[in-house]
Amino acid sequence: MSELAFFIDHSRCIGCRSCVQACEECDTHKGVSMIHLETVERADSVQTAPQVCMHCVEPICARVCPADAIKQTPDGVTQSSLKPRCIGCSNCVLACPFGVPKYQAAIDQMMKCDYCYDRTSVGKRPMCATVCPSQALAFTTIEEIGRTRRGRPIRRWVFGDEVVETKVYVMVPEAVEEVRLDLVALSSKAEPAPAPPRAPHERFDVAALLEEEPVHGR
Amino acid sequence: MEITGRGSDAAHATGWGLLTAGVVVLGILLGSRGLKDFDTALVPYAGATIFAAFGLGYRHAMWLRRPPTRLYWRRGWQLFFTPRRLPSNLARLGERLWSNFVVQRFIFRRGALRWAAHWWIFWGCLLAAAVTFPLSFGWVRFETARDSQALYQAFVFGIPVFRFPLDSWIAPLVFQVLDVSAAMVLVGLGFALWRRARDRGALAVQQSSDLIPLVLLFTVCVTGILLTVSTHFVRGFHYEFLSQFHAVSVIFTLVYLPFGKFFHIFQRPAQLSISFYKDAGAAGPQAACARCGQPFASALHAGDLKTVEEALSIRYAAAGAHYQEFCPACRRKMLAITQDGIWRAAGRPRPERP
Amino acid sequence: MAKLPAPVPALVERFGPHAQRTPPGGWSARGAPDRLVKTHCCFCGQQCGIELAVKDERVVGFEPWEDFPFNQGKLCPKGVKRYMQDQHPDRLLSPLERVEGQGFRELGWDAALARTAGEIQRIQGKYGRDAFAVLTGASLTNEKAYLMGKFARVAVRTANIDYNGRLCMVSAGAASKKVFGVDRAANPWSDIPKAEAILVAGANVAECAPITTDYLWQARENGAKLIVLDPRLTPIARTVDLFIPVRPGGDIGVFNAMLHVMIERGWIDRRFLAEHTTGWEEVERTVRRYTPEEGGRIAGVPPSLIVKAAEIWGPARTSFLLHARGIEHHSKGVENCLAALNLVLATGRIGREGCGYAMITGQGNGQGAREQGQKCDQLPGARDVENPEHRRHVAGVWGVPEESIPHKGLSAVPLLEAIHDGRIKGLLLICFNPMVSLPDQRFIGEALEKLEHFTAIDFFLSETARYADVVLPGSLMEEDEGTTTNVEGRVIHHQRAVRPPAGAREDWRIICDLAARLGAGDKFAYDSPRAIFEELRAASRGGVADYSGITWEKIDRLKGVFWPCPAPDHPGTPRLYEGGRFGHPDGRAHLQPVEWRPAAEEPDEEYPIVLTTGRVVSQYLSGTQTRRIGGLVDQYPQPQCELHPRLAAKLGVASGDYVKVESRRGAVVVRALVTTTIRPDTVFVPYHWPLTRAANNLTVRAIDPVSNIPEFKICAVRLAKAAPPADELSRLAPEAGGVR
Repeated sequence: MSELAFFIDHSRCIGCRSCVQACEECDTHKGVSMIHLETVERADSVQTAPQVCMHCVEPICARVCPADAIKQTPDGVTQSSLKPRCIGCSNCVLACPFGVPKYQAAIDQMMKCDYCYDRTSVGKRPMCATVCPSQALAFTTIEEIGRTRRGRPIRRWVFGDEVVETKVYVMVPEAVEEVRLDLVALSSKAEPAPAPPRAPHERFDVAALLEEEPVHGR
Repeated sequence: MEITGRGSDAAHATGWGLLTAGVVVLGILLGSRGLKDFDTALVPYAGATIFAAFGLGYRHAMWLRRPPTRLYWRRGWQLFFTPRRLPSNLARLGERLWSNFVVQRFIFRRGALRWAAHWWIFWGCLLAAAVTFPLSFGWVRFETARDSQALYQAFVFGIPVFRFPLDSWIAPLVFQVLDVSAAMVLVGLGFALWRRARDRGALAVQQSSDLIPLVLLFTVCVTGILLTVSTHFVRGFHYEFLSQFHAVSVIFTLVYLPFGKFFHIFQRPAQLSISFYKDAGAAGPQAACARCGQPFASALHAGDLKTVEEALSIRYAAAGAHYQEFCPACRRKMLAITQDGIWRAAGRPRPERP
Repeated sequence: MAKLPAPVPALVERFGPHAQRTPPGGWSARGAPDRLVKTHCCFCGQQCGIELAVKDERVVGFEPWEDFPFNQGKLCPKGVKRYMQDQHPDRLLSPLERVEGQGFRELGWDAALARTAGEIQRIQGKYGRDAFAVLTGASLTNEKAYLMGKFARVAVRTANIDYNGRLCMVSAGAASKKVFGVDRAANPWSDIPKAEAILVAGANVAECAPITTDYLWQARENGAKLIVLDPRLTPIARTVDLFIPVRPGGDIGVFNAMLHVMIERGWIDRRFLAEHTTGWEEVERTVRRYTPEEGGRIAGVPPSLIVKAAEIWGPARTSFLLHARGIEHHSKGVENCLAALNLVLATGRIGREGCGYAMITGQGNGQGAREQGQKCDQLPGARDVENPEHRRHVAGVWGVPEESIPHKGLSAVPLLEAIHDGRIKGLLLICFNPMVSLPDQRFIGEALEKLEHFTAIDFFLSETARYADVVLPGSLMEEDEGTTTNVEGRVIHHQRAVRPPAGAREDWRIICDLAARLGAGDKFAYDSPRAIFEELRAASRGGVADYSGITWEKIDRLKGVFWPCPAPDHPGTPRLYEGGRFGHPDGRAHLQPVEWRPAAEEPDEEYPIVLTTGRVVSQYLSGTQTRRIGGLVDQYPQPQCELHPRLAAKLGVASGDYVKVESRRGAVVVRALVTTTIRPDTVFVPYHWPLTRAANNLTVRAIDPVSNIPEFKICAVRLAKAAPPADELSRLAPEAGGVR
């Protein structure tokens, strides 16, 4: 059996925030949750977006850090900034392609998801992926994922022209080899004029689902 | 702003290292009045300090060669000395030196135990440095006063500054000041080890490099205190061995300064620089997210970051859009929207109008 | 009795709810725990396995229990933060006695028990035995549920005992009993991933049974098609194959019309029906009139959605039906379930791997607590209180004359009505918070005010216990030992993690003491919950819910045992009805024809909008526990009214505005959440909050004639934009019923 790995399938997420609640139970950042869970746009969707650190092979956060405060462990886990070094500039927060690091103003330090290093370094599974009820976040072997999921896990991302390889996998359909963000389609410029005050996302309208014929009550 | 350095990094940094070491050598020569006041017994210490100065100069220059560091270093000074902002900057500098360096409030918020450890080590080391460097450079020396055996005379740069009776309360304080500083550091080390042993999170992420400085400081302090003990209580028992051991541990610590965890002492002032950078950013225009339209950073910062990314060959720019223009929250949403969309495109159903 | 003994803000100040945001001693004080105790989450019927971390005899955290087969470490936010209720500052640590105008004062245990026992005897002496009632809960262990039933029948000797499962599972249970002769989910959850077609009716799985989400996804990864019926686009509905946004109360339209289409297309297993069922002909005749058009008209959805549903469900080789409160909380709740079950039986897809159905139990021990004899119409082993043979068996186990066992009493809502009209004068209440959870809150409050005596057993002072004359501090699940029965019918073992704090006592000890004071000490001489379980096994022997072959050791060894388990060497029964053998004496399933009928209160000109109530993932039931846990409070601090932008536009309301939602019975002022994920003719308000934030101020006190479940899922309301409320109740913290 190969080693355990982290797999994320955003589309499974039900927004229950179990991961957020469990994250703060982790000993490396007790009482502070490091995982992100966004509600994409509650006004017309129930879609939610969980985001853990993807642990880039060459972390952009570390490259843009002026204080040289962000380090990777030998097993490829990018840690929270080193406390003595971090100068709280937030470069990493703004540059991370996955929007992961969190600047903690009170302690003037960047902290981030660290793969539950207190757990994974001793063979336990991370808190978020262990508790995740939908298993949008899963920590298992690649064989097990292959056996139980459709599609396949990949770890190649494209942002603009930047290609990013990560330690964490994302589940995509069989033919897909990389996740490429369509920046033009996702920017507010893509909205037809007059643009509604909401950014692009998938919308749902129950009223529209009822519209085959007018509904007259009973 | 131009942030890519010219020439070889190593040559450049070596130059800075030599310059720093040269300044220290010059300081020793001038301060000891052409080595007249220089205590030859302290040569190894002075030598190690010169080496450390070279290392620190070299390392600091190398550090500043990193594009992000270079940019914020320059920006920080530039903004600090902007004439219009200078008066208020100076006022804030005072306030920030107090809260960040004297009382170290930000460390307290990270944890009381961590703060206690750091505070004691910090002031202990500072006190020791304030005594030992001037002594070993020959800037400060003590002599019995010519006119009285009961008085002691202190000289700074060869100039007599003050004298005190040997039986006064000041005397032991002056002679044992290093023991006081060692005790302070040991208190801090106690807190540090107590915290590390108890905190499961700290245990998980700590590496051997986190412990080396603690071991070094511990050795310096203990051997230093034992020297006093040997002199005053056990009639010089193993004094020779202890003094050599102490010297070796101090020299090792000095040499280690540029390389290990101690280097943060010299990086830390950048925290001040960043605080002025943030002030300037907040006062200026803000960058609005290309997706949600909400401000998410100062335009200054967002713009500088693009420059840094370019220098680092991070290619966030694409035809018609630049990834740096999206706020972190929208990036997270875009990832989910994109991943979900890929599945939709591959046939995963969605609630549809019939 | 008069009204509350002190103003609400004063009671909240002293007894909470206060939101606890840090573990005992603070986050940084947690070192390695002294021990991990393998037990279960107490919040919801899935009863996920969890390990509680204990340090210095305090619960300080948790570890996922990855070896427990049902959830394999998965937990919802309630499970994650469940440990925070131990060491809570609101915890009751002494019996309390009501002091008019001042609130409560502390009282010794002896005095408190003596007063309660004395009042029971006084009231029963003066007004008759049935004038004292006992109300209990479905979050109690099997042992405590059994004990409460026996206590009411043997010590108090009142017919009037019922429980809050009456608000939860009874429609599903009654339907299941009618059709199959057994009240239990037919299949273990491990059958879900093996199904080709899955129909989720009235279950917001993502929020109310989160762990089930992964089972549904497993099925989908295997190629299953998923249909969801709900007036709201729930998180799981976002990605399903077919979402039918059914009008509240319109489910029978969908079910009957699906069956109509399936008959037309020949997707009926007539051989199975002939061999294993009765009643099909009448069902077939009934659904003849339910064309997709007619079904669509009833359900308020396009007929084509119903046809699509039939096309997914009909030809599948394996299938699984899941239903929950969405179809059960109706004055026709049982009929809704019956119509759904017809879809299962018509295809013959039950009692096989990957084929079956389940009701999603809501409360912690929603399954077990309804089998041990604390329902007004049941004796232990899911026996019938009116069946002479059943009565004799139980009387034998209890060592009492059969005729001394009272007959059927009043169910929860009629019981409160009897209090209101003065037929019932005294009440003992445990594990039940009617002042949040029952419909028509104003009426419930009036009823409680009329009691001559009211003793409440609880670990926190619930909104209902505020009305009590005597409050006895009981125990949390982690402070006692016992069993519960999870959503699958799997009997599991709750280990004790810590002892109750000084001043509080285990619930079973309180009840046994009270029984002794009522002169029935010899029948309640238990020395441990295990002794109660041993008697429960004997009492259930030969019943439908037969626990007689289950021991605690066996549960620990097998990680749960599915009832029926009639013998020590019996492995338990994960899947019911294998080989098409059903629970009725004739071995057949009894199909029931169902006609749609309107709800008790349909919208009209005066109150033109349908209100449907429900839950959020971070709160459990009436919130007595979860409104005291900071992380859960912060996740969803106060109820919001979900409404469609079309309705919002008519009212001039935007998201975040305050709206007054008003029915014929009361009103709430809450913030609006304007969203297109709900039907335009329906609004939704979750029910976990009290006072002027209680959705049950609005709901109608109408009950299903068979199950007596209240109609929480549909009543008529009107909405108006409101000014920010500034009254004293609104200024309370959100967890106490205020707004922000």
